[in-house]
Amino acid sequence: MISNRLKQNLRSEWNQNHLAKIGAGLVAMFFLFVVFAPILSPHDPTAQNLSDALVPPFQTMEYPLGTDQLGRDMLSRLIYGARISVLVGILSIAAATAIGTTVGMLAGYNSGRLDDVMMRITDVFITIPSLMVAVTIFGLIGPLQVEIPDPFVATGIGGSSMPESFILPGGIIFALSVTSWTTFARVARSEALSVSEENYVRASKSIGSSSPHILLRHVIPNSFSSVLVLATLRIGFAILLESSLAFLGFSGAEFSWGRDIATGRDYLASAWWVASMPGFCIVFLVLALNFLGDWLRDAVDPNLNEGAN
Amino acid sequence: MSFNRFAAKRTGHGVLVLFSVVAVLFSIRFIYPGDPAILIAAPDASQEVIQSIREDMGLNEPIYVQFFDYMAGLLRGDLGTSYVTGTSVSNQIVGRLPATIELGVAATVISIALSIPFGVISATNRNNRIDSVVTISSLVGVSTPNFWLGIILVLVFPVALGILPTGGREFGLYEAFSILFTTGDVSAIITWVQHIILPAVTLGTYYTALLTRLTRNGMLEELGQLYIRASRAKGISETLILYKHALRNSLAPLLTILGLQIGRLVGGAVVIEEVFYWPGVGRLFINAIRNLDWPMVQGTLLLTALAIVGANILVDISYAVLNPEVEYQ
Repeated sequence: MISNRLKQNLRSEWNQNHLAKIGAGLVAMFFLFVVFAPILSPHDPTAQNLSDALVPPFQTMEYPLGTDQLGRDMLSRLIYGARISVLVGILSIAAATAIGTTVGMLAGYNSGRLDDVMMRITDVFITIPSLMVAVTIFGLIGPLQVEIPDPFVATGIGGSSMPESFILPGGIIFALSVTSWTTFARVARSEALSVSEENYVRASKSIGSSSPHILLRHVIPNSFSSVLVLATLRIGFAILLESSLAFLGFSGAEFSWGRDIATGRDYLASAWWVASMPGFCIVFLVLALNFLGDWLRDAVDPNLNEGAN
Repeated sequence: MSFNRFAAKRTGHGVLVLFSVVAVLFSIRFIYPGDPAILIAAPDASQEVIQSIREDMGLNEPIYVQFFDYMAGLLRGDLGTSYVTGTSVSNQIVGRLPATIELGVAATVISIALSIPFGVISATNRNNRIDSVVTISSLVGVSTPNFWLGIILVLVFPVALGILPTGGREFGLYEAFSILFTTGDVSAIITWVQHIILPAVTLGTYYTALLTRLTRNGMLEELGQLYIRASRAKGISETLILYKHALRNSLAPLLTILGLQIGRLVGGAVVIEEVFYWPGVGRLFINAIRNLDWPMVQGTLLLTALAIVGANILVDISYAVLNPEVEYQ
């Protein structure tokens, strides 16, 4: 799927692109937070301690980034918040990629009634802003909380005082994948259309290759890189949407940067850090993903449209 | 294809898209949580009362009858009655519309006014420090959650510096101007500006960042063209080359992006209105979702779709007018 030429492009772009290196570093850091949250967090992010409420950051060693209005450790909450942002971003875009590229390729390759129906559906999605689609779907299906046991706490590796499980907001993941799949469908469709016009695909058809064979052997490998670029850029967008939804009160997650910003808003005058710190995390994570996405895009196709995201 | 046929075809496609939106929204009502009759009835209403409400609302009619009733209502501009307030959805939306339009227009104006000079400066200083600062700032701009940016601006201006209000909208631009014309008092306009400035800047940031990148790239592309070299060889001044030729030719693609991104602007406005307690259509939509008020949800979604389809038709048509070489398809 990754040709030698692409590998070479990726490497030469990587050497020139310092922002991509910063992006990779930041993404790696957030991944560590996601996986090792119970080990890296100094405190239980849910533990309330009202006598230590609203401790400012950089004042005590115990709470390096301060505490919120309920005396919960900011640093621990930020680390646990990474789990929700990263998992929601990846899972929703993975689902959107799978559905979108499948439908898009079939539509582009067969270009018949399926194609017409798909294009009408994507028209509807383009006409209503992603945020409004996501909010409406969330209103339709509700939070659909999925409780996932924390592997480190369950096996006793992480601190025993840490939460034993965390809640994945299934409703948000579903809403975001429904919001995003049409973008992938359109890209996959146009890739499939252009690939099936190629002479080698026609030749393959003429010697009697089956459609599944052509799709798997030619269409999918050829569309792989542009779908990958799109997915990287869309994960950042999904993370932004998740935080907006959580800010508006549509979440279902226990830890969410967006939700913590919403609660911190009531303490702006006395405690600036509660609302501002989670926002910095969102900016760094999304910025890092954009750096990586730009690097991938430049390596795959320097002429790819800017407006794709 | 003639221009008129192109415009007609484009409008026809828009109508078709809107029809699909209507059909989708109509079918969602049947799976939306909450029985409308129960939502409307008093909490202790008897089964008979609920039944008679169902009868009155036409919920017992066959689906195709309900669909035609609904379509007939839409064509008269009737979006139904709110389950929560019991008043006309259309009237409530129309009352909130000026606030949202003012916010959207102000954000667009601010971002165009900022992004074009930024983009030009960045392009003319290609690959030096100014260019890197502009490029990285615009990347930060597209990566920042707008609601958080709004909160940070509130933290800086009203909370820390004690200037500008934290939110709300005293009156609209129309009222501000009527006060100005009847009493000659400018303070109403100033109050209006003070209230709209933070939300408009917040909403415009994403656009500013995006348009700056596009202006920069468009300018760089134009500046590499042969006609620019020819103009330089003829001795035309650099200012004239930059603004009269290069900038003008890189503006047309910007228009398309503005049209394509209007959805993002409207979606952003929904969140920004919550941050700044701005009484627009976006807050109406969010509250309707919270209250399971489907007619209101549907009404605000339809209006948004109408605005976006309309804006895109306008952009396509004006693109064709601005650029006579464009092929109508």
